[in-house]
Amino acid sequence: MSEMTWLQKSTRSRFKLSKQTRSRKPDGRQAALHLDGSAKETLEQGRNRLVMAGAVFAFCFVILAGRLIGLALSGDEGASQTAQARENSAKIALGDKTRAEIRDRNGVLLATTLSTASLFAEPKNVIDPHELAAKLTTVLDDMSEAVILSKLSSAKNFAWIKRNLTPVQQYKINALGIPGLHFRQEEKRFYPMGSLVSHLLGFTDVDNQGIAGVEKYFNGQLGGSNDTAATDVYLSVDVRIQHALRDELSRHMSIFRAIGAAGMVLDVKTGEVLGMVSLPDFDPNRPNDFSGDSKFNKVSLGVYEMGSTFKTFTKAMALEAGKVGIYGGYDATKPIRKAGFRIRDDHAKKRWLSVPEIFMYSSNIGAAKMADDVGPKKHKAFLTKLGMLDKPSIELPEIGAPILPPRWNSLETMTISFGHGLSVSPLQLSSGIAAIVNGGAYVNPTVVRRNLEKGLMAKQVISAKTSNTMRRLMRLVVEKGTGSQAAAAGYLVGGKTGTAEKVEGGRYKRNALVTSFVSAFPMNNPRYVVFAMLDEPKGNAKTHGFRGAGWTAAPIIGRLIARIGPILGVTPVDEESDAIQRAMFVPINSREKKLASF
Amino acid sequence: MKMNLTVLSVLMFAIVSYGLYQLSYEVQQLEKDLGSIERRIVDNKESVRILKAEWAYQNRPDVLQEMAQNYLPLLLIAPYQVASAKDLSEIVISATEAVKVPTPRLNPRKNYSPPAKAPTGGFRLATYNIPEDRQ
Repeated sequence: MSEMTWLQKSTRSRFKLSKQTRSRKPDGRQAALHLDGSAKETLEQGRNRLVMAGAVFAFCFVILAGRLIGLALSGDEGASQTAQARENSAKIALGDKTRAEIRDRNGVLLATTLSTASLFAEPKNVIDPHELAAKLTTVLDDMSEAVILSKLSSAKNFAWIKRNLTPVQQYKINALGIPGLHFRQEEKRFYPMGSLVSHLLGFTDVDNQGIAGVEKYFNGQLGGSNDTAATDVYLSVDVRIQHALRDELSRHMSIFRAIGAAGMVLDVKTGEVLGMVSLPDFDPNRPNDFSGDSKFNKVSLGVYEMGSTFKTFTKAMALEAGKVGIYGGYDATKPIRKAGFRIRDDHAKKRWLSVPEIFMYSSNIGAAKMADDVGPKKHKAFLTKLGMLDKPSIELPEIGAPILPPRWNSLETMTISFGHGLSVSPLQLSSGIAAIVNGGAYVNPTVVRRNLEKGLMAKQVISAKTSNTMRRLMRLVVEKGTGSQAAAAGYLVGGKTGTAEKVEGGRYKRNALVTSFVSAFPMNNPRYVVFAMLDEPKGNAKTHGFRGAGWTAAPIIGRLIARIGPILGVTPVDEESDAIQRAMFVPINSREKKLASF
Repeated sequence: MKMNLTVLSVLMFAIVSYGLYQLSYEVQQLEKDLGSIERRIVDNKESVRILKAEWAYQNRPDVLQEMAQNYLPLLLIAPYQVASAKDLSEIVISATEAVKVPTPRLNPRKNYSPPAKAPTGGFRLATYNIPEDRQ
């Protein structure tokens, strides 16, 4: 009710002045005003209203004060929330969500994730595209003005100029101060070693998901998930050995004009792969620039007829089965004719050969007869034990399954005895050889650093005695037989050559060979298996036109072992000393007719 | 008395609230500092990552090999150059025989001449002489 309405409605006199007559003290108090009637009522109403208004204001102030105290006590809630958010984002950057690193066995960095800046433009906000392009080319010297202009000319609101800049480039572009250009932080997988460990590491796609090699196999562990942190992977490879292997392979690949090469170094006791190289290879930093051919891992994915290196298995099998002793032998005078096939010797001696001689001169006839004595059933069982007939298990997605013959009878046993008719990967061959020389225990190969304290799963496949004999025989091949070029003085190398014709369209190609050499060292107590293979090597003047494994693949082994021996801590021995000669002694027992003196 | 109590409590209230406000602001400042330190840690970790990658990149085995070839007069270790500590002969010092103790010289570099300079020209690392008939 407003005052006006009240004034209009009131009919009573507004106030009444009454003279105070009964005053006791005649001083100034008699002037007191007595309000009565409607005026008094009005005054009281006014006071009530004032109190009400005061209460409302007091209430507001109390709330304000309360809020103020609350803020003082708890701090700014909004600010603490942003702090929380910052903390979360900090944790992400600190490595929870960043893809973890891959390192070699000594901790050398092989793959890491860097956060890089990518440059993009908003063409609508660019004032002068020509000026921008001219300025940008001063920093991005690999891009021409025309390319930048064509990117800016698109009608879209967003155009990538360049992904993954270096920090220096980012700084310089920032310093240019061009409006319309922006950066976005992106994560980029970086492989400092370039193409050195390419096939083993594999690579990732643009979303940093592993799509090949170890990157794919350990994608979950490297990437982490919501409840598990991303953890680093330590591989079993040693970059120094990997480099020596790649260096020697590529050198000999160019010397013999081969179209490809492969090699690996394997620890015979632990099954760890210390080096694995397949040439041609690629740079995982830019996998799209390389053909699919170079991304093919010849060591684990490629399967080949390995040729004479298989004679090692044949020999071990025959000795283990007791079908023939070290003093026994076979007649290798004439080629074997069986089911329309002719098995002949490359280094034909045309006489009776003892078991060490069969191995030393790599006689196909001898090996075939030896395997035939054992029989197809046992042959198959023996190769199965050595992991030749099953897909190997190793921490790589690229694994080739062996190609078995459609049936396995006497003829197949004969051809497989010298490495034809059965295709296996170099990885399988090397781990099989490791089992032959290490005392007869098959250890599954691995590309991840093994913790030896956890124990090792090993499966005894041949006796220690047979293994010992095989070491001597393999040493004999390098000392006196086909593999003499694989010798590395002091490191007591032993091995076996293997030359096989390539199969193309179901027929053997006479002019295309795959030469390989599988070796182990030091032969008195083997620690490492070294394998090298060349794809289609061509002979040259230095090899007198020969392109067999003894001329092309064996020199790789000799040079490589001399390089990696000191790195691996293998103590060189005097190969001529009595103790070593005795330890490596093999009774050759040859029946070669010596020319009678005239 | 009553007056005193009131004054005292008001005073106490003022002091405590001042202290509380002060503490609160201090905590806020510390939180701010913590945030900036954390941000810097993240930045530094990123820098460390980049530097480590750079270090690994600069120490690629092929680069080291090339540099060693160009600047070091070293060849591949030949087997006869490898020995263990056991192969070293032991020098027996007799307890009874008097042993001369070297005394410091007045001018130690008097008879010193700098070592002959390493021959210039390229050296091949990681290689060794291959007999002619094997090449």
